[in-house]
Amino acid sequence: MVLLVAGCASSGVKNPSGIAVTHMNADEQGFVAGTGVESQDLVMVADKMSRSILAIPQIANAATPPTIVLERVDNQSRFPINSDIFLTRIRAQLNSKALGKVMFLARNQMAALEKERNLKREGTVTASSDPGIQEFKGADYFLTGTLQGLSTRTSAGTSDYILYDFRLIDARTSVIVWEDSAELKKQGLEDAAYR
Amino acid sequence: MKSFWQPTLLALLLSVAGCATTPKHQVVLTGDIMVDAPNAIANGPPRDRVLWEYRLAAAAMRRGQYDLAKRNLDDALLTLGGIYGKDKSAKEARSYFHAEAKKTFIGEPYERSMAYIYRGILYWMDGEPDNARACFRSAEFEDSDTENHEYAGDWVLPEYLDGLATTKLHGDGSDAFKRAQAIAKGVTLPPYLPNANALFFVEFGPGPTKFATGRYGEELRFHTAPSPVTSAELKVDALQIPIAPTDDVDFQATTRGGRVMDHILGNKAVFKSATDIAGDVGLIGGLTTAAVSHNQTAQEVGLGIALAGLVSKVVSAATVPAADTRSWDNLPRYLSFVSLPLPVGQHVATLQFCNSAGQVLPYLTKTLTINITTTDRDKVVFVSDTSVTPQTL
Repeated sequence: MVLLVAGCASSGVKNPSGIAVTHMNADEQGFVAGTGVESQDLVMVADKMSRSILAIPQIANAATPPTIVLERVDNQSRFPINSDIFLTRIRAQLNSKALGKVMFLARNQMAALEKERNLKREGTVTASSDPGIQEFKGADYFLTGTLQGLSTRTSAGTSDYILYDFRLIDARTSVIVWEDSAELKKQGLEDAAYR
Repeated sequence: MKSFWQPTLLALLLSVAGCATTPKHQVVLTGDIMVDAPNAIANGPPRDRVLWEYRLAAAAMRRGQYDLAKRNLDDALLTLGGIYGKDKSAKEARSYFHAEAKKTFIGEPYERSMAYIYRGILYWMDGEPDNARACFRSAEFEDSDTENHEYAGDWVLPEYLDGLATTKLHGDGSDAFKRAQAIAKGVTLPPYLPNANALFFVEFGPGPTKFATGRYGEELRFHTAPSPVTSAELKVDALQIPIAPTDDVDFQATTRGGRVMDHILGNKAVFKSATDIAGDVGLIGGLTTAAVSHNQTAQEVGLGIALAGLVSKVVSAATVPAADTRSWDNLPRYLSFVSLPLPVGQHVATLQFCNSAGQVLPYLTKTLTINITTTDRDKVVFVSDTSVTPQTL
């Protein structure tokens, strides 16, 4: 009787005991998946772009490490995401693996940097060098990208293709010195109850 | 021995019966969406979670509680975006013996599109027009698998806003504008003003709800109450701008056409009807045979047929072809949009809603104090005929 009642209370409930937290690599597809941008896509794309950037002569053969500023990625796909996450991962990969071959400028923190410099100039805080000298570096290159998508939905299912395109632009000449892309296509079909 | 088995059997039956009917998630509704929705999301059936998140998000937007709306829409859209593949609740909803409403609610395409439209507005409000555009594209995408392709992807506003966002992001929005203009039959859409930094999203009228018809309630239908409001007028500073509906949510709900699930429900209804008739025939035929026959074998055969008829009746009674009528019931009927350039400073805007005769309905008038702090970023204003008033934005 006890067994019967206990079994009955949770009958029809999927995974009544839940699923323990599962550690997964960011580059593998989990059991929760859609046709949008997912962590494995981010890892694949960012790794490919990092390797590709390091191979170009402007970086590989530079006498002094070029400085790069990250520009906002233009998300033209149908998936709302924080597209700057791609640049964050590319930057982290290059900073950790490129052994100083490139340098990134923290332009998104300029307000805090200027405030600190002004405090030093005013003598409110100490300075290890002459705060009157302009030491903020200018960019040699801008790194930016675009996410573009093609989506199809028919009775056979949903198909989403996304083209991830990244570019390195010479800040002096506006020449695109490097461009590479990665593309992913995902398809899925929901249960007939939702069609 | 008999005294032991009888109570045991009774207890067993009671436990099974009790177990089958004890609701696991009971939510007492108060009629106040801001109370009921959080309660239902936390304590109600998980299959209704998205439905309540939709409802709460719409209500929160009309109260100016945009963070609350964002949280709920984000969670709902996560479910919506991950609906592919096997789903136990959906499988049950397709089975003969469970109602369609057993499935996890994600809404019909017009409801899904509205979720993306609201989220797009909120992204734009946060200064993310590219993500807003992504949502408007998804809104159009949700509407792209209609039975009659004439009505596929025919929301005007998402298409128009796709082009506007592209224009503001220094792209070419002319293709989207042309598509929007082609969809907006008989209405001339205003050209994009790249310097228009005040964007007004306006909605009014009660939206569609669902009901079921057919012998077993297997046919999904939509009902939209006549809207007391059919247009609006915006007054800002010295400007006076008439606002006509751009999209009709009722039109979107009713032009989708047949669903795959409608065929399944139709099959369920046929099965229910057939097993019911077979049960009647078996019961009447079997019992009649048993009653009139003097041959023991014929009587036993008759009783057997009657028993089979009874089983068929039970199967028929257990078959549930009812369509899922859960509705996002606080959607608006009409959507519209106005954009205009406003200089830095404080502006008082008045939005008046009008009936079909063009008369202002004063009890619906909204007053908005709009603070423009920069012209580099758009000021997004969302106004419903059910919004709170006054608002300072």
